[in-house]
Amino acid sequence: MGTIGESTRQAFALLFGGDAGLWEIIGISFKVSLSAIAIAAPVALLIAFLLAYGRFPGRRVLIAVFNTLLSFPAVVVGLTFYIVLSRQGPLGDLHLLFTQSAMVIGQIALALPILVAMGHAALQGTDRRAWETARTLGAGRMRAAFTLMREARFGLLGALLAGFGRIIAEVGASMMLGGNILHYTRNIPTAIALETSKGEFAQGIALGLVLLIMAFILNGLLQVVQGKGRPVG
Amino acid sequence: MTLLRFEQVEKTFGRRRILDAVSIDLEAGGCQLLCGENGAGKSTLLRILAGMERPDDAAIAIGSLRLGWRAAKKQLLARCIYLHQQPYMFEGSVRYNLNYPLRGSRADRSIRIQEALSWSGLSAIADQDVHQLSGGERQRLALARAWLRQPKIMLLDEPTANMDLHCRQRTVELLRVLKAEGVCLVVASHDPLHFADVADRTLDLVEGKLLERSSAYADLPEKVTPIDRFARILG
Repeated sequence: MGTIGESTRQAFALLFGGDAGLWEIIGISFKVSLSAIAIAAPVALLIAFLLAYGRFPGRRVLIAVFNTLLSFPAVVVGLTFYIVLSRQGPLGDLHLLFTQSAMVIGQIALALPILVAMGHAALQGTDRRAWETARTLGAGRMRAAFTLMREARFGLLGALLAGFGRIIAEVGASMMLGGNILHYTRNIPTAIALETSKGEFAQGIALGLVLLIMAFILNGLLQVVQGKGRPVG
Repeated sequence: MTLLRFEQVEKTFGRRRILDAVSIDLEAGGCQLLCGENGAGKSTLLRILAGMERPDDAAIAIGSLRLGWRAAKKQLLARCIYLHQQPYMFEGSVRYNLNYPLRGSRADRSIRIQEALSWSGLSAIADQDVHQLSGGERQRLALARAWLRQPKIMLLDEPTANMDLHCRQRTVELLRVLKAEGVCLVVASHDPLHFADVADRTLDLVEGKLLERSSAYADLPEKVTPIDRFARILG
């Protein structure tokens, strides 16, 4: 009990005392995860839009595939890309394994199904008349698509927040693809795993607190954002 | 002047033939009233005319040009405006919705929006959120938004459905102005009496066939519902 209390006190001291090592880990986490979301979001939005409004063979199968990928374990994603990026793998020549780029790739793969599935649900929920009204008022396909995204913006923002929440806290893919290298690929979840295995709980608790606070903020934002999405008749 | 000619339009949903060899000409400044029961195919015909729904078969002429569906669709979308029975309003203010069809500089758009606001009598609620509008105000906003696009053809699906007498009269008045400006109107409605003094001809859609009606509705008394009577008492 004393150990937990002491570790928590040290954790707060590290967090609010401006510990450089701790904040570096937090910075790497945010840099990697924000990069992954920034790359995945436009692709996912396009796929979500095509799934919601396109009519092509195999559409339902694709929806089922993305919904299935939602429950794909992070460690399996890590393993898959480890094989692809390892020296003997098809992309081994790129020398990406154990780099932040490899972590970004893994996190894109994890975020994409969430963004597509939630984005598809948000766009599917928009009124069909929105598309028709935009088109009849002279909007081209591209502008009409952006109009629809604007109408579904609260749902789409919810998808972005949920996707970010998943990848910043995942440990499996980051550990396998980044290698947990200090000052380079060590992020919040991999650092927690390492510190805990060493019996150094203070930094683990401090980083855990960061994740908890962030999860709380993201969920709060999600509540506010989704509460604003009112249907327009 | 004939703007648009559709001949032998066919449309089937499942086993049900909705439109059976329907032909229709649209003239500049004309107003045609399209009547029929619920599910008769009025909306489907309007959507085909607007380029939003592909017919199973049709011969389409725009001006003197005969076009296939792909080419015609582009032209129809550029020339026609289709107004849903319950017009869709984009999230935002009245002004935001009026800005949507406009191009050009900010100053030009602002002038055009002011014109549309006074044209439709919506100046007082220009900055109001569309969620707060009544059914009649939404319909007028939809008409003003369409008017800003300067369409040659306007296709209206039940534009006065569920409106009280006062709102209906204001909407019909706006249609009269549009007609006077040379816009070709096609109005689908259950109740032709509301549009008797705007419409040039009345067409009935019966079992997929489009039939011209000859009786003069202007001579008939307007149907007054209990809601209308109540509205009149209130002034």
